[in-house]
Amino acid sequence: MSSAKQSTTWDLQLRQLLMPKLGQEASECEDVIAFDAQTSRFAVADGATEAFDARNWAERLAQHWAQRKSTLTVEEFREWVATEGRELHDSWNSLTLTWYSEEKARSGSFAALIGVELDLKSDSPSWQAIALGDACLLHWRNGTLLKSLPLSSSESFNSTPVLVASDSSLHETSMQSVVIDSGNCQNGDVLFLMSDAAASWCLQRFENADLDVNEFLGTRDDEELRQFFDAERLAGRIRNDDLAIVRIEIKRSNR
Amino acid sequence: MYSAQITRANPTCIILLIDQSGSMGDPFSGDSARKKADFVAEVVNHTLHDLVIRCTKTEEVRSYYHVSVIGYGRTVGSCFSGELGGRPIVPIAQVADYPLQVKSSYKRVSDGAGGWVEIPVRYPVWIHPAADGKTPMCEALRRVQEILRGWLLEHPRGFPPTVLHLTDGESSDGDPNEIGRQIMSLGTDDGAVLLFNCHISTRRSAKIEYPTEEMSLPDGFARTLFEISSTLPTNFLAAAAQLGVNAVEGSRGFVFNGDPSSIVQFYEIGTSLTGMTPYRWMDDRTETA
Repeated sequence: MSSAKQSTTWDLQLRQLLMPKLGQEASECEDVIAFDAQTSRFAVADGATEAFDARNWAERLAQHWAQRKSTLTVEEFREWVATEGRELHDSWNSLTLTWYSEEKARSGSFAALIGVELDLKSDSPSWQAIALGDACLLHWRNGTLLKSLPLSSSESFNSTPVLVASDSSLHETSMQSVVIDSGNCQNGDVLFLMSDAAASWCLQRFENADLDVNEFLGTRDDEELRQFFDAERLAGRIRNDDLAIVRIEIKRSNR
Repeated sequence: MYSAQITRANPTCIILLIDQSGSMGDPFSGDSARKKADFVAEVVNHTLHDLVIRCTKTEEVRSYYHVSVIGYGRTVGSCFSGELGGRPIVPIAQVADYPLQVKSSYKRVSDGAGGWVEIPVRYPVWIHPAADGKTPMCEALRRVQEILRGWLLEHPRGFPPTVLHLTDGESSDGDPNEIGRQIMSLGTDDGAVLLFNCHISTRRSAKIEYPTEEMSLPDGFARTLFEISSTLPTNFLAAAAQLGVNAVEGSRGFVFNGDPSSIVQFYEIGTSLTGMTPYRWMDDRTETA
């Protein structure tokens, strides 16, 4: 007599925090969080402040990435971004623009993107991620940072990251900077998706070993976190930039 | 220092101070058809264009910068005319809305598939070339000081003002050293006013860019300009490095005997402020249709 092995099921506990720059309205925030709970796909996009229509570009990238089934090879990603870029540029055709908007639009739009897909169907869950720019994925286990991508230290952040361009003529060089990676998860592991200011701050705190970032971000309520980050901004410990943080905790299901 | 975030609530100030004396009507760099004043007006218009584009958020221009363009020659005063005429300092959003004219042209760009396409581009014009009279540099610097004092009273915090001074000759109204030093002693909580000087020449002598010491300078006038040139903060050094300009820690924001490319780089570095990528408009020249 043989017994069928009961496969483990997994739950995700999700938290998200989105904050505009200090002194700006939520409507001015150019960071975007998107996810599809059915397919376990999550994305954070960060529209480049100096770019034309950056919020729309970030929104389009994050939302459509989360809704799609696969963009986890560079070629697929490149094709997909080109299509999204064309659609964005087409949406500008109906606008009557001033000379400066027209000039700005000519350069297209830019955003950083980090997208992750979790496979929770097996006993050993895993993730696959794609990144271009300085929005990051951080994989946390038992108080230790297992992996951070595409940037792995707080010193790696600079003001001129290679970003996802809406103008496909720039893809020949920019797509060389796409980072694709994967990892396995255990019960209790946490994945963070963060835009650059939050990721840089998080890595800095981890490097300094002066705060258990995972525990901190996992246990404070939203209002406490907002007050905390505003205070950090005023103290100059985190750049006054838009903040996007998604915390995904992978838990063995009790069902 | 020099690290304050530039926002609409906390803007910075950029003053372009231009020599418009008679000698600016001389040919530049061996090109008899092109006067120094023509080239400088073109670079200033491009610089204003680039500042506007940097502040453009889709359909709105955010006034991160307050801009002044002061010329000196037969007279000393604002180079703005038309709707902006008579205003010594103007938020960049208004600069954007009131060019004297917007020229249209076409530019050839890569189509991304090995070919070329022509796309329309716009070239706004705010100032026209001028070259007349003597070189009243001291009076011009006093005008700058007056503008800065007024502006700093209302903006005591934030990224300090930057003054980009371009001249082709010695002052005709005295030694500019004292007034230059007075300007450099003004500032905000985030640092002293930055005064950078670019001297251009039709002589075929070697140019000196962003020196660290006076020893290398050929004469007293060069040393005077060196002394009233601020040390380039780190952010500006990063912009210089991106342009391939050899500026190091301790370099002054000073060019002597500059040629056309020196002028372009001087404005690109001088307006890079918080380390943003310099806008390389020289890579962006048009082919008029």
